[in-house]
Amino acid sequence: MKGIFVKMKHLAPSAAILAVGAITLSACGGQSATGEEASGGSSDLQGTLTGIGASSQKAAMDAWTADFTSQNSGVTVNYSPDGSGAGREQFLAGNAQFAGSDAHLDDDEVKAGEEACGADGAYEFPVYISPIAVTFNVKGVDELNLSPETIAKIFKGDITNWNDKAIKADNPDAELPDLKITAVHRADDSGTTENFAEYLKATAEKDWDAEVDGNFPKEYGGEAAQGTDGVIQTVSDTDGAIGYADASAVGELSTAKVKVGDEFVELSPEAATKVVDASEKVEGRSEGDLAFDLARDTTESGAYPIVLVSYHLVCSSYKDQETVDMVKAWEKFVVSEEGQKSAADSAGSAPLSDDLRKQIEEVIDSIKVEG
Amino acid sequence: MTTMNTTTEAAVSKPAKLTSKQLPKATPWIVAVASIIVAIVISLIAFGGFNIPVVAVLAGLINAIAVFAVSASYEGRRKAVDRIATTIVTSTFVLACVPLISLLWLTVSKGGAAISGDLLTRTMLGMKGVLDQQYVAGEATLAGGFYHAIVGTVLITLAACVISIPIGVLTAIYLVEYSNKNRLGKAITFLVDVMTGIPSIVAGLFAFALFSTIANVLLPGAAGIAKTGFTAAVALSVLMIPIVVRNTEEILRLVPMDLREASYALGVPKWKTIVKIVLPTSVSGILSGVTIAIARVIGETAPIMVTAGFAKTLNWNLFSGWMSTLPTFIYDSQLRPVSPGAAALASSERAWAAALVLVALVMVLNLLARIIAKVLAPKAGR
Repeated sequence: MKGIFVKMKHLAPSAAILAVGAITLSACGGQSATGEEASGGSSDLQGTLTGIGASSQKAAMDAWTADFTSQNSGVTVNYSPDGSGAGREQFLAGNAQFAGSDAHLDDDEVKAGEEACGADGAYEFPVYISPIAVTFNVKGVDELNLSPETIAKIFKGDITNWNDKAIKADNPDAELPDLKITAVHRADDSGTTENFAEYLKATAEKDWDAEVDGNFPKEYGGEAAQGTDGVIQTVSDTDGAIGYADASAVGELSTAKVKVGDEFVELSPEAATKVVDASEKVEGRSEGDLAFDLARDTTESGAYPIVLVSYHLVCSSYKDQETVDMVKAWEKFVVSEEGQKSAADSAGSAPLSDDLRKQIEEVIDSIKVEG
Repeated sequence: MTTMNTTTEAAVSKPAKLTSKQLPKATPWIVAVASIIVAIVISLIAFGGFNIPVVAVLAGLINAIAVFAVSASYEGRRKAVDRIATTIVTSTFVLACVPLISLLWLTVSKGGAAISGDLLTRTMLGMKGVLDQQYVAGEATLAGGFYHAIVGTVLITLAACVISIPIGVLTAIYLVEYSNKNRLGKAITFLVDVMTGIPSIVAGLFAFALFSTIANVLLPGAAGIAKTGFTAAVALSVLMIPIVVRNTEEILRLVPMDLREASYALGVPKWKTIVKIVLPTSVSGILSGVTIAIARVIGETAPIMVTAGFAKTLNWNLFSGWMSTLPTFIYDSQLRPVSPGAAALASSERAWAAALVLVALVMVLNLLARIIAKVLAPKAGR
């Protein structure tokens, strides 16, 4: 045993190094992302909010969390971007106070919501509108008009050259080169693909005969690229390429105008917001359920119909007043002008319209304590 | 007459053959360098440029052939075969080192360029895309950091050690000193073998399912509170225990039976023999085994994601709230950047810096294991 103690003495230096390391670790650090001390904030809310759901909202969620916690330093907001399906499931199982989802609840889930959240069920409302751009790279062509049928045929592989008659019909004034079209799509399962396909299914069903799915239909061929960045990279590197991606990621590339009704609409946040306002609410839902059937085939002037709309799901009632206050404050911030602007700056989303915001705020106000 | 002459000549020259005709020691190296140069030349001519993989493969092939040819022409077939075996073994060793070196190089060059004191001491509290866009546009320094992830890694790994080291070491002691290969001992060995093969995500799901069930029983409808650092530590110990058991068992079996017998002969009871003779003799091996187990679990991503979530802020409490570790931080930053599009570069830089810290942490642990083993090793001839 004595031998051990002698040996322990040799260990003393390394133990000391460990101890010093531990002390340094705990002494310095823990500052905020910018190194400034948290400003505190005036509210006396205290606690943790947990959300699970769509990864499409992640960038916006980062921005909302940052601004919200700077105003309410007592609140921690956690968001786990596990996916829309996982988010709805975990929320309905009571494992999270709110969920983010790219799709609204289906009828079975509404019923499950009544069990999880009390008689009024779960509330849902759109918080994040992200336009999807049809982006192209053709030398000498800066503007391009495309009708849904043409887009469908291009991505399906039926139109293979930029001087095709169908494209010329959409762009009578443009000089289109004799150049092969490279249609770039997402290689991975994604909400962007799903919304893009949903739009084509609704507006050009004759040409787009594949099922709507997060995976791009394999039989249509074309060039596959991994992730949003991969699509943008491939389109910028290839002369004659066309692809679809979140508008926030497009950067310097040109985007096509899309035919709505009789006119061609340019992508803009306002135009994306408009399509949500032109959409009908899903029938047979409670007042707090602001789920929309997106009017992809709208003819509303100035609306841009290729959008991804992501919802927040909250309960109509929570067990204690503290949670109710926190959820109310949080969701109100998310839909507020400030919150929407913050998401637009950081994540490139389109802000909600004032009209829709008013409806959502009414829903949020009706959240109450159980019983 | 002539026939007799040749036989005597042959008999005389035979012993001389044993020592003659050997290539100088430097020859294999000269041949290797020459074949690399030839490979570069071929690559430049035939493949239109310098291409590292092509050069490496070509150099390996040319080297093997050249070594054989040179040796066969000078030393004879037997030695040539021996040389080619040596060459192949050495080439495969170099090949095995390639991924390691390229990984280290990539981590050090990318992480080293991004790392800064700010990244080490800041958290992601208040982090948003605008800050990254400013950084990429060159208007601000890189914001954010992973101090919270370093703290999380250290705390979760420590907790996993506290759980799994006593269980693992005591199990190994039972297996070696008490079981005498009885049924229970065999069953434990079998189960430990099975546990070694558990995929890490399954360990994570097990721990989460266990704790959310407990949470649901204690506080109905609040299963969400099961996502804590402690749950992650339990998941990691499921992965750690079999490694600790295996390593400790091997080391304990190395302790000479004579030592135990000498102790028993002096009338020392069994438990005292184990505590004062067996464990001190093997302590260095046990500790280095434990360190290997730590290095194995410290880089786990999947079980942490399921059990501890993705925290953006500092959390010192293992038993409440989400925690981030370096692996989950890297995964999250790379896959879901704070700002999509061009500014995702900033998230990527933070991820590389975190990867560098993680690799350094694992290396320091391995080094520590070596030092501990050396310091505590029993001195020879005692």
